[in-house]
Amino acid sequence: MTVQRLERALAAIGLPGTVEIRGSLAVLTLQGEVSLEDETLRADAVRIASAHGYTHFAVELPDIGEGGASLHRG
Amino acid sequence: MSDVSEHDATPPSGAQEPGGSRGAPASAAAAGDEPVDVPDAVRAKEALLAEWLRAHAHPALAIGFSGGVDSTYLAAVAADAAGPARVVAVIGTSASLADDQHADARALAARLGVRVVDLATHEMADPRYVANPSNRCYFCKSELWTRVRAWAAEQGVETIADGTNADDVRGHRPGAVAGRERGVHSPLAHVGLGKDEIRILSRARGLPTWDAPSSPCLASRLPYGTPVTHARLRQVEGAERALRALGLAGDLRVRHHGELARVELSRAELGRWLSPAGMRAIRSAVRQAGFARVAVDLRGFRSGSLNVLEGVTAA
Repeated sequence: MTVQRLERALAAIGLPGTVEIRGSLAVLTLQGEVSLEDETLRADAVRIASAHGYTHFAVELPDIGEGGASLHRG
Repeated sequence: MSDVSEHDATPPSGAQEPGGSRGAPASAAAAGDEPVDVPDAVRAKEALLAEWLRAHAHPALAIGFSGGVDSTYLAAVAADAAGPARVVAVIGTSASLADDQHADARALAARLGVRVVDLATHEMADPRYVANPSNRCYFCKSELWTRVRAWAAEQGVETIADGTNADDVRGHRPGAVAGRERGVHSPLAHVGLGKDEIRILSRARGLPTWDAPSSPCLASRLPYGTPVTHARLRQVEGAERALRALGLAGDLRVRHHGELARVELSRAELGRWLSPAGMRAIRSAVRQAGFARVAVDLRGFRSGSLNVLEGVTAA
């Protein structure tokens, strides 16, 4: 399925999670905390979502307390 | 309660520096402190604009005023060209106007020395508007300009103008149609002034709005087909105000997708706020406004984003 392929592609760049589709908006709910400060990472994610046909790509901010796990890329 | 209230040229009590509540960068305060290089061709357009405004301000000119970049510049040039006593800034007030934006608009008009009239509009009573079709703005502006036209007739004011600029006429602007149908003039577009030129000229005049982010009405945060309700508008307003209070600057929109808020930030702010701590702060602020879920759009702010999402305009 397109959604699963999108999830795999996003996980491959360091954004593991589940994707919810709302029309042409894809919403990724992250598994754990991930820093999205890296502009290249954000651009890669948007490019991947766009390649899968989504005009909008958003990342849901996970409900993790101060002591939550942190997954930093790289 | 009357639908019309008029104010003298005094800022409302408690009003902050115009534009400040919407995140105008600190550089706005320095506008006018340094020379601004205005190309001759742009100066020439401004001269044409002043000439048009001077010719149409008898006995007075009513300007649909939002306190944004365009209408503020238009009012400033009109006040200079025709005298502030001949210029009336008419602010349409309704649930879709954020309180902060209303206060900013009144303070800006007062700063320009022009008359300020608050005119209550009732687009929320129009089921065609509430249904939120892709031409929602047509019904809103129809209500606004009908009421402004009636008020102007009572006052003996013949000419009504808005801040539509030369760039606007190329986009999806159903609201502009309503204005044209009611004889509203768009002098900025008439003389060919686009947004970038208006920002340059605003800066040269020392207007604090020269680099202010655009600020369309709150209903623009609701996807087409999502009914416009007071509760949804207040949710969006509360979330955006909370994010501003955190310190987020520049263009900012909280798009309403039911229980999910999709936050659009400028690229610079995305880089600043998407650390784990920043994201926690954003999430907490937006949730306090009544959204169960919070997401950040990784492409960042896009004007007309929901038009793209709904397929009204191309990506």
